[in-house]
Amino acid sequence: MKNFLKEHGLWVLFAAAVIAVALAVMSFFSSSTSSPLENLAGIITSPFRTAFSSVANWFNDKQDYFANNQALREENQELRNQIAQMEADLRQAKSDSEENKRLRELLNLREKKRDLGELEPAQILEHSSSNWTSTLTLNQGTEHDVEVNDCVITEEGYLVGVVNQVGLNWCTVLTVVDTDISLGAQVFRTEDVGVAEGDFSLMSQGRLKLSYLPAGASLLNGDLVVTSGLGGYYPSGLVIGTIEEVQLDDSGATQYAVIAPSADLDSLTEIFVVKSFEIVN
Amino acid sequence: MIGRSEIFFKWLLYSAASLLLLLLQGAVLQRLRLFGVMPFLYPVLAAVLSMCEGALSGTVYSLALGVICDLVLPGPIPCFYTLIFPLAGLCSGLVSRSWLPAGFLCSLVVSFMAFVLTDTFHGLLLVLAGKTAWAAVAMTALCEICATALFVPLVFLLFRRICRKCAADF
Repeated sequence: MKNFLKEHGLWVLFAAAVIAVALAVMSFFSSSTSSPLENLAGIITSPFRTAFSSVANWFNDKQDYFANNQALREENQELRNQIAQMEADLRQAKSDSEENKRLRELLNLREKKRDLGELEPAQILEHSSSNWTSTLTLNQGTEHDVEVNDCVITEEGYLVGVVNQVGLNWCTVLTVVDTDISLGAQVFRTEDVGVAEGDFSLMSQGRLKLSYLPAGASLLNGDLVVTSGLGGYYPSGLVIGTIEEVQLDDSGATQYAVIAPSADLDSLTEIFVVKSFEIVN
Repeated sequence: MIGRSEIFFKWLLYSAASLLLLLLQGAVLQRLRLFGVMPFLYPVLAAVLSMCEGALSGTVYSLALGVICDLVLPGPIPCFYTLIFPLAGLCSGLVSRSWLPAGFLCSLVVSFMAFVLTDTFHGLLLVLAGKTAWAAVAMTALCEICATALFVPLVFLLFRRICRKCAADF
């Protein structure tokens, strides 16, 4: 090899120079495409590059997949938590809405009935425990300043009854249809005054009667009957019910009216005890 | 001769049975409506136990039951049940000793009698107060008797079992 280079070295160098010049001239005159060698190299390496790229892409995809999957799982869990929270909020909102409605009605009642003083909300623990009376047992008693003869009303202002017995944390209410109930009442339209009282025959039908009406009182079915407030025992203007029919008593001399209470006594759950009120003249 | 401890045990059993039946009344029967009224076990307890144990013991038991009843139920006058139940117990004890042998038929009769007494006094007070007519009282009493009659066998079987167990043991 040494001898070959010594003998023909100049010729080899000359040939290499000629080839280099020729390639340079070719590259110069074909500037729009890559040089033939580069082209050749590119052609040869292209499949390998494609393969490398494909493998790299595959790895990247897999990496992204795992990364995204983990993120999606976390996001899914987060969304589930959000849904659970929103459902809880929705339930709370419904409950708040119902309470809000009751309180709005109570507020309206307070605005309409400014003579009503302090109202104590109470839950009904038990409905009548005997076939001979119509009573409710409430969860409020003397510890909440509830007293005998306090009126009990619904949030709409309908009279439910009157407190009859009071214990420390309970009280018994005679409903408006009980036979021991007797209230001063007034027909709203005609301003005729009478006495709303329970009658055993009507109690089973959930009705009471309006007695001691003045002679010539002209009552109509559907007339509203409210408390008269006469004597100052009970607040005035509390709705007792509406007149259902007018009848003559056994003697045939005087008339009485059958009242359907406005408060639905069988389905009550929460009511209000009127602890104080102003007497309106 | 029955000893003091045996008597105590017997009345302990009667008290437990009564408590159980009062729980039944408060938890279940109070919410039932049969023939438009709720079954009312108290007079049945007074009558059936008086039938089993005789007039004297029955009257004392009925007095205690009446006191409890007045404490937990609204009555038309104070001590209404305390006055009526001993009378019902006394009559039931006398009937079972003199007219009818103690048994299921007798328990039905004395229960009916206890209801007639109780409801008659209820009605009398209402009629005197001008709050109703006898017809409405009679209808309510009839419905109450019919609704409660369904539960008389339960009370009878329970009290008879205690009565027989104590009689056999002692």
